[in-house]
Amino acid sequence: MWGCRVGSASRSCLLHIPSSLSLPDLSYVSFEELLQMQNGMGMRTHRVTAGKKTAHPAPSRVFSFRPLEMSAKKRVPFLRRVVPVTKKVGRDPRFDDLSGEYNPEIFLKTYGFLDSIKKREKEMVQKQLKKCRNSQAVLTGGLELSLKRQQRELAQQGKKPFYLKKSEKRKLELAEKYAELKRSGKLESFLSKKRKRNAIKDKRRLPSQKSL
Amino acid sequence: MLQGRITASVGLNVAKLQDEVCRHLASILVDNAPAKWLQQQDLTFLVGEEERAEEEAFEDGLVAERLKEDVLEQKGRLQRPVAKDVQPPDPDIIRVLRGHQQPITCLVISPDDKFIFSAAKDCSIIKWEVESGKRLCVVPRGKKGTEEQQAGHTAHILCMAISSDGKYLATGDRNKLIMIWEAATCKHLYKFTGHRDAVSGLSFQKGTHQLYSASHDRSVKVWNVAENAYIETLFGHQDVITGLDSLSRECCVTSGGRDGTVRIWKIPEESQLVFYGHQGSIDCIQLINEEHMVSGADDGSVALWGLTKKKPLAVVRQAHGTHGSHSLQQPYWISAVAALLNSDLVATGSHSANVKLWKSGEGFRKLEPLFDIPVVGFVNSLKFSAAGDFLVAGLGQEHRLGRWWRIKEAKNSICIIPLKRKAGVADSS
Repeated sequence: MWGCRVGSASRSCLLHIPSSLSLPDLSYVSFEELLQMQNGMGMRTHRVTAGKKTAHPAPSRVFSFRPLEMSAKKRVPFLRRVVPVTKKVGRDPRFDDLSGEYNPEIFLKTYGFLDSIKKREKEMVQKQLKKCRNSQAVLTGGLELSLKRQQRELAQQGKKPFYLKKSEKRKLELAEKYAELKRSGKLESFLSKKRKRNAIKDKRRLPSQKSL
Repeated sequence: MLQGRITASVGLNVAKLQDEVCRHLASILVDNAPAKWLQQQDLTFLVGEEERAEEEAFEDGLVAERLKEDVLEQKGRLQRPVAKDVQPPDPDIIRVLRGHQQPITCLVISPDDKFIFSAAKDCSIIKWEVESGKRLCVVPRGKKGTEEQQAGHTAHILCMAISSDGKYLATGDRNKLIMIWEAATCKHLYKFTGHRDAVSGLSFQKGTHQLYSASHDRSVKVWNVAENAYIETLFGHQDVITGLDSLSRECCVTSGGRDGTVRIWKIPEESQLVFYGHQGSIDCIQLINEEHMVSGADDGSVALWGLTKKKPLAVVRQAHGTHGSHSLQQPYWISAVAALLNSDLVATGSHSANVKLWKSGEGFRKLEPLFDIPVVGFVNSLKFSAAGDFLVAGLGQEHRLGRWWRIKEAKNSICIIPLKRKAGVADSS
């Protein structure tokens, strides 16, 4: 191949070379031999050994006011970040220096209000529990339990256990409910409320004034 | 041409040197010769020499001045001090040309300053003659059936551009189309499709037939009009592109709306320079010379930019003031900016009932107000003539991009505002 002078601009390297290292002059080497060298060494090492001493200066603070230069060929995704959303970094106060040293007196003083809140909550929960105990939830539980006991007895005796249908279970529950209401004397008010509710529902089905 | 000028100046210098030598010798003679001998001699030649030398020095100065200007223009830093000589015009010499039925959205002036092309929300284009104010051509809106016979736009025309030789006119509309027309006859030539949303910015590269287009699909496309070809697409903006401008370099500048950036696209290198520092949505942009530009935003701020700094060189906030009730004071949106090429004169328009003229300081580092020109309505487009003789404003009852407000008293028209210069100033352009 014809030997030609290769321009030094194409061989700029990106690493800093110590001035003590003497570089070979590759200006008069032919292209073919250069390519062979490159293929043997790899592009980066070739650049390092054959390139000029001058390296690209690292972006110093002087150039921070210049506009940012970017490639114009990369497609921008449709969804973009409009408001910068930062991840919430959680801190563990036990291991964080910001919380300081643990002082039991100060801790009890500042967080003493939590005890009163706890007490209040405990009272509320106990009240609710009392209410629940007296309500039907326990009764239905009792009904189911009695049924289960019955099945177990039958199975023990050798007879086949039978299971009630859902509708049968509901009937039994309703009977229990009525008995309870009668006992407490609230049957009349319960029935009247039920009648009212049914009346309203039936009224909706009737033809209204507007449709006339 | 430049080389010719250099040799001319060099030639002058040689002649000047000869004159210098002659004059020096003559002065020595005059100093040392006896007075009686001098009286007898005819020394009128010396006076003639001085006059000629002065003339030549003057010419030499002019040539040097012109050379300096050329160099600055190439570098992109030319700033002719025109602003201090401009005077506020009388209201009666402002001409109003009416013809469009709906608000004007954009306009361009032909490079020879003889014709004005304007487009409006009624999708029509009108060619006006500047001197007489007559309508030369009207391109009406396109009808559904007759697309082949009578080409026309079917949606709002958002932008227009004319090539620097006055041959081609390009218009872009909300239907993603760019139409190319022959400027002299208003004949439809080509249709460029490819954009995926409204075309919002168009500009020809000066001295060529290369067209840059920007769109609401956040891309910039490069086309060659003479060969009816698409060249390439450039990406980078993160919001709709609201404006585009270019000069004779193979670069164009775009304003990116809500992403708050102004980008310079270097087409041969396929890279972009990103500038930011403007608050609000940047709505309009124009190049003053190759390295400086002026932009306007919807928070009322006008900014001057230079290529070497990522932040604006000068910012004027709430340039047109504020409006609204006591507690809800909103700044007037800047809907149009214009700059006289290679000078320090900048004009901004909003719907604050006037067009404001500004003077940019030395090196574009300051922006000072000069005076206001009263107009009624939304100033949707502003353009300076090439020679700086007049300023054309496209007015409408509504903003060119939407109908947030409507000014009933305004007339949809174009205003030709002649700019007077102070007497006794030679126009070097």
